[in-house]
Amino acid sequence: MLFVPGVLRRSVSLAALVAILFAAVAVGIACGSVNLPLGRVLGALVHPQLRGDVTTIVWSLRVPRVLIATLVGAALGVSGSLLQSMLRNGLVDPYLTGGSAGAAFAIAVAIALNVPVPYFAGLAFVTALATTIGVAGLARRGRGVSPERLILAGIAVSSLFAGLTTLIIMLSPSAGVSLSILAWIGGSLAGHGWSDLGWAAAYAALGFAVAASVVPALNAIRLGDARAVALGVDMNRTRWLALVASSLLVAAAVSVSGVIGFVGLIVPHLVRAMCGADMRWTVPASIPAGAAIVVLADTVARSAVPPLELPIGVLLSLIGLPVFLYIAFRRREQA
Amino acid sequence: MIDARALVLAYGDRIVLRDVALTLRAGELVAIVGPNGSGKTTLLRALAGTLAPSGGTVLVDGASVHALSAAERARRVALVAAEEYADGDVTVRDAVAMGRLAHRPWWQWNGLPEDDAIVDAALERVDLMPFAERLLDTLSSGERQRVWIATALAQQTPTLLFDEPTSHLDLGGAYATLDILRGLTAEGAAIAVVLHDLNLAVASVDRIVLVGDGTVIADGPVERVFRAELLSRAYGAEIAVTGTADGTMVAFPRRRKA
Repeated sequence: MLFVPGVLRRSVSLAALVAILFAAVAVGIACGSVNLPLGRVLGALVHPQLRGDVTTIVWSLRVPRVLIATLVGAALGVSGSLLQSMLRNGLVDPYLTGGSAGAAFAIAVAIALNVPVPYFAGLAFVTALATTIGVAGLARRGRGVSPERLILAGIAVSSLFAGLTTLIIMLSPSAGVSLSILAWIGGSLAGHGWSDLGWAAAYAALGFAVAASVVPALNAIRLGDARAVALGVDMNRTRWLALVASSLLVAAAVSVSGVIGFVGLIVPHLVRAMCGADMRWTVPASIPAGAAIVVLADTVARSAVPPLELPIGVLLSLIGLPVFLYIAFRRREQA
Repeated sequence: MIDARALVLAYGDRIVLRDVALTLRAGELVAIVGPNGSGKTTLLRALAGTLAPSGGTVLVDGASVHALSAAERARRVALVAAEEYADGDVTVRDAVAMGRLAHRPWWQWNGLPEDDAIVDAALERVDLMPFAERLLDTLSSGERQRVWIATALAQQTPTLLFDEPTSHLDLGGAYATLDILRGLTAEGAAIAVVLHDLNLAVASVDRIVLVGDGTVIADGPVERVFRAELLSRAYGAEIAVTGTADGTMVAFPRRRKA
């Protein structure tokens, strides 16, 4: 980057991202596999007490789904920004540190064992955190955590959980269970309502709070590890808190959406291009940026080929892969 | 003030320095000199409390520095590390403002107006105010060095430790940097600085700590430490010391005989 955007430009960029998110939410509520007149959708939004199919579709299906997409995108975006900053690596996303693979495995087991859906967020968090702690344990070097080892251990553990999840699909007692797990892994926001949103929002809120607590320290780390320590940053505490925040956010996302990749990778790059690398701007801007991407992708996923619904994880992977390759090749050229 | 006693510093099983006793008082500018790999940076980190010693204690204003929290330590001692890495996208003002990190609670992302005034004063002190909105990437080595000094000044600590602040600087830049440090000691700061250039040290500091052979070989006023036999022993080379017409002492390697 050749310049650091001034406060005005950053504020305008943040406001633009929030405006795009509101527009995406509006489109997400207006569009779906059932074609509803815009006036009736607006009427149902303004008068939720009215009975009828449109009110049911809007308030029981579309609104909670769009809010879940907002939550998932915001959680994955902030998680990606935290990890990329902490590890000083623009190719890292929450799926590279093992937490999401662990959470997805736990949910695959839960589906196979017919565990009620409300327990998914809790299971996902416990497994994501345990996996992240395990990965951090493998990455320990002396009294600290080595970022390079963390990524390597994360990739290894992710592969292990991906293999175990495949094993569960193969060993599951019925084709229906296998399909449910596969649909989950493909990433989908279908079939979730207000209660799922409540559980996931609780974990995400905690994750956002922990993330906010490490923003000043992560900013200081931009001056170099040794300088950050000299400035009063407790590096181990900062890394652990960032990992806990990432685990909470990933658990919240995975519990209601399954595996949705690339959001945590792309969003930090997008917000850095718009608002600069200062974490005081990157973290808040990651919320509307990630949310808008997932809301729009979900709207496309359920509206493109009705009545079929495309898996949002697959859709985002199709968009994310070229972006990932662009980032990787641009880094190589810069090197 | 720093008071280090019976320090043993090691990385794993490898002992770098042993039996180190060192006191740094208010108003003193002390140079730590010695050959490459002798443990100067290790000693500075231990004095700053960012490296735990294998033995001995470091007291900062009477408190064991290693028992302090990271933030409390950073409010008592500023360490300017000789680190190459820094994200170049940070503005000079933002970098210097990070010196206030340890002075505010964790939930406060931005400094208060009084923090801004302290940052402005630090920038003025090192003549960086015109560069305040520039990016670190656009600065010369000397200008960057002044940024790190300003960041340490913003910490407002009574003790400041500098690791090779004159590396990459030409002679003028090196003297200018040490002049800033001398100005700070005149106001009561206690400063220790790791230097490679012996003659720069002699011209600028009150006291020299000579490190070598895995310990502190000598510690005292310039004229007592800056002696050929001590320097030759520390550096493992034949070094001569002479005086110039104005009384300044100069060290130089003796020509090797064929």
